Amino acid sequence: MSVDNDRVGGDEEAFLRRVAHGDERAFRAIYDRYARSVYSLAVGLLRDPQQAEEVTQEVFLAIWRGAAQFDADRGRARTWILSLAHHRTVDAIRRQRVRAAEPLDPAVPAPSDAAEEAIRGVEGARVRDALARLSPVQREAIGLAYYGGYTQEEIARRLGVPLGTVKTRMRDGMMRLRDLLGNARSEVETT
Amino acid sequence: MTHEEIRESLAAYALDAVDEDARRTVETHLQACSECAAEVEALRGAAAALAAGVPVVAPPPGLRAQVLAAVRGERTTTRVPRIWIAGLAAAAGLIIALAGLSFSLSRELAAQRAQLAAQEQLVAMVGRPSARAITLQGTVEGNVRFVYDPQSRQGMLVVTRLRDPGRGLVYQLWLVAGQTPESAGVFRPAPDRPVLLPVTADFGRYGAVAISVERAPVGAPRPTSAPVLSSSL
Repeated sequence: MSVDNDRVGGDEEAFLRRVAHGDERAFRAIYDRYARSVYSLAVGLLRDPQQAEEVTQEVFLAIWRGAAQFDADRGRARTWILSLAHHRTVDAIRRQRVRAAEPLDPAVPAPSDAAEEAIRGVEGARVRDALARLSPVQREAIGLAYYGGYTQEEIARRLGVPLGTVKTRMRDGMMRLRDLLGNARSEVETT
Repeated sequence: MTHEEIRESLAAYALDAVDEDARRTVETHLQACSECAAEVEALRGAAAALAAGVPVVAPPPGLRAQVLAAVRGERTTTRVPRIWIAGLAAAAGLIIALAGLSFSLSRELAAQRAQLAAQEQLVAMVGRPSARAITLQGTVEGNVRFVYDPQSRQGMLVVTRLRDPGRGLVYQLWLVAGQTPESAGVFRPAPDRPVLLPVTADFGRYGAVAISVERAPVGAPRPTSAPVLSSSL
């Protein structure tokens, strides 16, 4: 992607620090860099453009208000922003489920099962390859959590396995993913 | 939960697959345990990479202007410090630096001086003939007043007694324009001293002030619950 003074280049962390000081230009640059990723995540998981729009707005307001909480010594700006986006999206999914009283009984298929579909349709080649190297049960637990927004307890009920088993699958799978994906920058940014 | 039990939950936490209670328990532990904090950061990096797994969809074209307008709106209501507690701490830091005594001043003394600086600001405002003071009332007991001067557009929330909002929660102050609440910052009460929260705004635009309980640390873009305290301006 192109990098100039108004665009977020290598040092996104410095941009977040400027946002923490109320720098609107830096905020615009962060928006331009991340709006697509944040919105894609929200709409991909929520399946509702209206709600995805609200969540995206909520995420960027939280970035504006909370940039001072970002600690560059502890992690990268990208991780902080996408974690925030995922957390807010999952919150919205859970509110949606409370309203729809979606059945969690494994015998009843869930109406719009974003999770399995997302796993099947994973776009980023690196993510797809990494997920392919997990065991099927690890992939399933992580996919239901990340793309489906289910809690570990819901996943255990859904799969009919003990909670401890779900925890172990998630833990082992995430450690593997961390080794496969954790340290490299994602190549899927499109600007 | 013990350190070992929390360690077992870190992957689920990084995937947002824990409920609110467990989330708070993990977050409290992370404050104290650098080992778990480092592990969470690595797991979060892996989880964030999964975001690339959803199809890329361009956000609606109007959203950018909407977000920027919302941010600008916050700017005019909360122009000076955006994180008030941090603002007070920063004021304390500045006073230490000015005094050139950063090593010898005790933390307590610095806090007292920050308090004094905010109090001086308050006294200066109250001294102006155009200043007004109102008491917020509602469903929680406390002593919370809002002092403001429409002419200089300065205001300050003065919290001398208010119960703790609970773990993981903060109080959020709202200025209400018509039916629309606009955030004016978040705060937590202190048990042993008043908390002062400065607000710069065009008070003529607002009909009321209200306080609701919202999630720490940054509050919410709109109130998620009924106000616990309020007053008309």
